[in-house]
Amino acid sequence: MSEELRPTPAIQTVDVVKLFDGGLIHALDGVTMTVERGEFVAVTGPSGCGKSTLLHLIAALDVPTSGRIIVNGHDLLHTTDDRYRRSEVGLIFQLHNLLPHLSALENVEIAMFSNGMRHRQQRERARELLAAVGLVAKERTPPPRLAGGERQRLAIARALANDPSIILADEPTGNLDSASADRILTLFRHIREERRVTIVLVTHDAHVAAAADRMIRMRDGRIVEDASELGSRAAS
Amino acid sequence: MPFLTLIVRNIYTRKVRSSLTGAAVAIAIMTVFTLGVLTYSLRETAISILRTGTADFSVGQKGVSDVLYSSLDETEIDRIRSYPEVQSVVGVLVAAVEIDKNHPFFLELGIQPDKLEEFGVQVVAGTPYGPTAPDEIMLGFRAARDFDKSVGDTFTVEDQQFRVVGIFSTGQVFGDSAAMLPLPTLQAQERKPGSMTLAFVKVRPGTDIDALRKKIDDDNPELATVRTQSEFGRIDRNLKLISAANVGASILALVVGAIGVMNTTMMSVFERTREFGVLRAVGWSRLRVLALVMGEAIMLALGGAAAGLAAGYVAVRLIQRVPEVVGVFQPDYPGDIFGRALGIAIGMAFIGAFYPAVRAALLKPLEALKHE
Repeated sequence: MSEELRPTPAIQTVDVVKLFDGGLIHALDGVTMTVERGEFVAVTGPSGCGKSTLLHLIAALDVPTSGRIIVNGHDLLHTTDDRYRRSEVGLIFQLHNLLPHLSALENVEIAMFSNGMRHRQQRERARELLAAVGLVAKERTPPPRLAGGERQRLAIARALANDPSIILADEPTGNLDSASADRILTLFRHIREERRVTIVLVTHDAHVAAAADRMIRMRDGRIVEDASELGSRAAS
Repeated sequence: MPFLTLIVRNIYTRKVRSSLTGAAVAIAIMTVFTLGVLTYSLRETAISILRTGTADFSVGQKGVSDVLYSSLDETEIDRIRSYPEVQSVVGVLVAAVEIDKNHPFFLELGIQPDKLEEFGVQVVAGTPYGPTAPDEIMLGFRAARDFDKSVGDTFTVEDQQFRVVGIFSTGQVFGDSAAMLPLPTLQAQERKPGSMTLAFVKVRPGTDIDALRKKIDDDNPELATVRTQSEFGRIDRNLKLISAANVGASILALVVGAIGVMNTTMMSVFERTREFGVLRAVGWSRLRVLALVMGEAIMLALGGAAAGLAAGYVAVRLIQRVPEVVGVFQPDYPGDIFGRALGIAIGMAFIGAFYPAVRAALLKPLEALKHE
């Protein structure tokens, strides 16, 4: 495919550096990578390797010390962070971060505030999403009364609320048993195929990483292995 | 889910904290409301003296502690009468006496019979008293009804017996609930010979009343002209002090209430740090987070205000039963007191919740999400 016809990548990071504690800690040390649209990428590595920091920067929850992050052709430096998180990305956390005093349905709805939809439309969409993750029967149940896997599925439904093009998941199966984790991974694959979204999943679990199309391994703030690139090199 | 529903849900979820915030507002509003009603009602009672008659304005001694201590003599009355714009001046001595437990603040007006018509008094039964009759009295028709008296009956004031010679009407509730007797008789009874409390002035048609008042005020520094309720403090210093105390108490209530709201809202924002981080992470703007915290505070303040008004009403009713107050204090509930209470409640919410709301809005989502 010629350069002109190649679609804009979903995510590009260019020499991204992130320092903490006044430069004492190099969380990211010149990370450059590209994620194409519709890819399911697992970022893996040992604790403290910078994989979650990278995810937070792509989610605009934090800003890089230097370097550029370009999402769907837009440099995050010039993006209003809340609008970006509302429209471009859906976030999933290891600890779910659901609001315990609201029902499952309302937890999905709160992500749709300010998206321009009418309340009735928001409610219909929230119900559709709960159905998509298999929680339609629990729409009135608050998160504390859901099982761990159910909570994570609810978090996925919330992440999809504004129809994002990118899902960013930080250790989404970290607190789940293997059966629940497998169900979540199956759900991710299904969502990717059905909704054509790009998924970037951070995990330290090799089994979970293996479920992705591509695996990026990090160590000490750098990318040390990119499985798809390795595959390409091996082929050539 | 509508935004308002989320606000209500958040308030309902945190019952104890919401109740504490509401209670802080309610106590403040109860104080403001009760003091407001007391001040307004006392002022109404006092100002009713000035409303008696058909004068364009009244003149009294400047800065006395109580309007009843105002003292004008015939020279001063003549001086006011000498202004060409003045059509007539009626000097009246006002005295308050206790008739019985139910009437601890009964007013007597000393006025010459030839001035009754000029003063706006209409004799509806019997005849006016004589100019120097020592034992003749007229009762306002409300007072006559209240004491069950009619023309020819005897009416006792401070062990002195008077014969009711007439029943009058002034068209004013206050005047119609009082008694009138000859000026020299009341002056003797009060041991204030030649003294009057207030001068009631009627101007010639076409006169600029405010200009005339200014002229009288400037020419007579010991006197003060009064036309409206708010000006009554120029004569009655007590009322001025009560009004000032009311304003002071309202400001204090606003500050105390606002501190209460700020304290509980600050605690709430601290406890909900992670929640705000989640909301920011799912795309809420800073403005919306600010609106959420402010909305909750305003909603609580309105609830607290409703409770405070109800408690204030009960407090006023209880005050009415205090023996020292019976017959003196008739509560009035003007609309502006409710408006002021509402304004103060919303003010408390704004002042108290703004800083915590800004803190919540400015939270960095990532740090907020890591908050335990």
